[in-house]
Amino acid sequence: MTAAAPNQPKGLYAKLFEPKRLGIMAPGTSVLVYAGLLFWTIVVLFPLYWLLVTSFKLPIDVNEGPRYLPFVDYEPSLHAWDYLLVEVGGDTFRPYVNSVIIAAISTILAVLAGSMAAYALARITYKPRFASILSFVVGIIAVIVLTVVAGVPWWLSLIVGLAIFALLARTVARRFRARLGNGDILFWMISQRILPPVIVAVPVYVMFQRIGLLDTHIAMIITYATVNLPIVVWLMHDFFLSIPRDLDESAEMDGATKFQIFFDIVLPLAKPGIAATSLLVLVLAWNEYLLALFLSSVDAQTMPLLVAAQNATRGPQWWSMSVLILLMIIPVVLIALALQRFIAKGLLVGAVKG
Amino acid sequence: MQVTLDKLSKSFGPVQVLHDLSMVVEEGEFLVLLGPSGCGKTTALRMIAGLEEVTSGRVHIGDRDVTDILPKYRDAAMVFQSYALYPHKTVAENIGYPLKLRKVPPPERDKTVREVAAQVQLEDYLTRYPRELSGGQRQRVALARAIIRRPAVFLMDEPLSNLDAKLRVHMRAELKHMQNTLGTTTIYVTHDQVEAMTLAHRVAILNHGRLMQFDQPKTIYRDPANLFVASFIGSPPMNMVDGNLSNGEFTGPGFAHTLGKDLSVGPAVIGFRPEDCSVVAAGNGLIPAEIYSNELIGDHTLVTCELHDSSAAPHTVTVKMDKDFEAEMGAQIAIAIDPAHLYFFERESGNRVRV
Repeated sequence: MTAAAPNQPKGLYAKLFEPKRLGIMAPGTSVLVYAGLLFWTIVVLFPLYWLLVTSFKLPIDVNEGPRYLPFVDYEPSLHAWDYLLVEVGGDTFRPYVNSVIIAAISTILAVLAGSMAAYALARITYKPRFASILSFVVGIIAVIVLTVVAGVPWWLSLIVGLAIFALLARTVARRFRARLGNGDILFWMISQRILPPVIVAVPVYVMFQRIGLLDTHIAMIITYATVNLPIVVWLMHDFFLSIPRDLDESAEMDGATKFQIFFDIVLPLAKPGIAATSLLVLVLAWNEYLLALFLSSVDAQTMPLLVAAQNATRGPQWWSMSVLILLMIIPVVLIALALQRFIAKGLLVGAVKG
Repeated sequence: MQVTLDKLSKSFGPVQVLHDLSMVVEEGEFLVLLGPSGCGKTTALRMIAGLEEVTSGRVHIGDRDVTDILPKYRDAAMVFQSYALYPHKTVAENIGYPLKLRKVPPPERDKTVREVAAQVQLEDYLTRYPRELSGGQRQRVALARAIIRRPAVFLMDEPLSNLDAKLRVHMRAELKHMQNTLGTTTIYVTHDQVEAMTLAHRVAILNHGRLMQFDQPKTIYRDPANLFVASFIGSPPMNMVDGNLSNGEFTGPGFAHTLGKDLSVGPAVIGFRPEDCSVVAAGNGLIPAEIYSNELIGDHTLVTCELHDSSAAPHTVTVKMDKDFEAEMGAQIAIAIDPAHLYFFERESGNRVRV
């Protein structure tokens, strides 16, 4: 005996929440879904709207507010735009250029170095001995002790440290079996991003102060590229794993070197991953505040610092902040739009089988 | 060029997947490595290509020992099961990539690409991308990319297995013709015995990483070296009946067969091919049986017969009969076999017992 299919029910619930045909939404469902979407759209877009209208307000409109609608609640004014772009235009322009230079170059460096590391981790099996890594740590400790405690010149202690590492790694460390794998290396890299960045802020500050690079583009670029490197490795590793190994091997048989395989075959196929990762890293560098606060003051000051500075001596200058934030958002939106087509496109179609 | 494998072995950790594989592939020969999945045939091919490290043993291409040199210096071209076409390059760029890497100037490269594309009937598709091609066309691009370099050796890893059945038969013929025209030594891996029998000059059959038999297709079919080869080659496979061989007599379920020679091996297996036996009236023939089912294939009928085997689980053998053969299921019959086409094997070792 087979059970007969139930008849279509006719109650109110069924009318509201069961679609009449395949491929359409039931009326009740669509009301709920669109209400939810509308609510979330407002949550997301309202701050942007508020930024936009605030940038055209006079201080009095802000202080006696809230005023919501331009031309109705208040008379829009260009005074904040005029002040920031014309009156003190140089002071706005300089951090802006700094932000562009630092974010762009650090992103390129991080993505280039990070994707090469990620590719290596996706394709080559590494098995460093645990004891060799310990030898390296011992070497580093030796350098520190010699330089700081014993007062040996740094280059001399560096040589001694390297010698200790080499000696230990070639002798004692060889006796131990325990090895790490690619997964351990990958986790070690991403673990660098698990700690709050405040922990490294002071040492990094002291380091750049000692070598005289505080408040320079170079210091900021090096710092941002380093900080973002683990994210690039982590994200790109997965993209490279999704590219069939056959393609690498085929190119190898065709006579390509590892670098030719990477730049001719793998990198073009990883475009969607590169685009998504670059965008993420770029935004992280573009918005970074804490390290910039430590490392820059005037010459290398970036936009987030300038925005924060609007809250300084004369109380919060909401109108100026709004203008600056809008200026900050525009390039990111443009880049996201430009990269979107790469991110959406599946490039691997037709690589293998069909 | 000649390819020589000398005691080639491969282990992945504690698992040994290839045991002392030695063979000589002659210049211009089409060699097929055949075996069930996991038998080590692809590993052997990848070791010849240089994509897999050799655990022990040597690989020679021509006079050169290539065991430890990079794939690109081995002068071998490979066609992958997945074709491994570069999806972001056009057909012309795919085919020309090996020449580009060898810094052949663009005009010359274009000319060669055109010639090779014409050879595989791809002239009209040079500006397309792999995703815009059919399976058979992709297969041809992969072939063209391999032949453009005029390599010393072609290595092919199940190149036809992703094609549908009809196209596979067509490409098989094309491949055989092309190899014959070019005269390039070819090592071809497959698990498909029909491909192996039709393409190969010689077939090397592997099982569990060991070479089972290495000979011409017809010899392998007519004169299998052991139980594995006998049961692996042939479709439908050779019938195997367990029994006992002692004092020159093989005794199986309900029958006994006297050999010309006085042999005693103990537990043994008797084998005969479906086309070497026939269904006859009960009381005649060698093995008494009952018709289990019969299937008309088209040009012949496959008759499955159940042996009168009280000891073990129901045991069936297949007989290939004429297309006009008719019989009731359940009818009592007997199976007659030409004694010249009987094969005997030791049951434990699987070794052939020659009579």
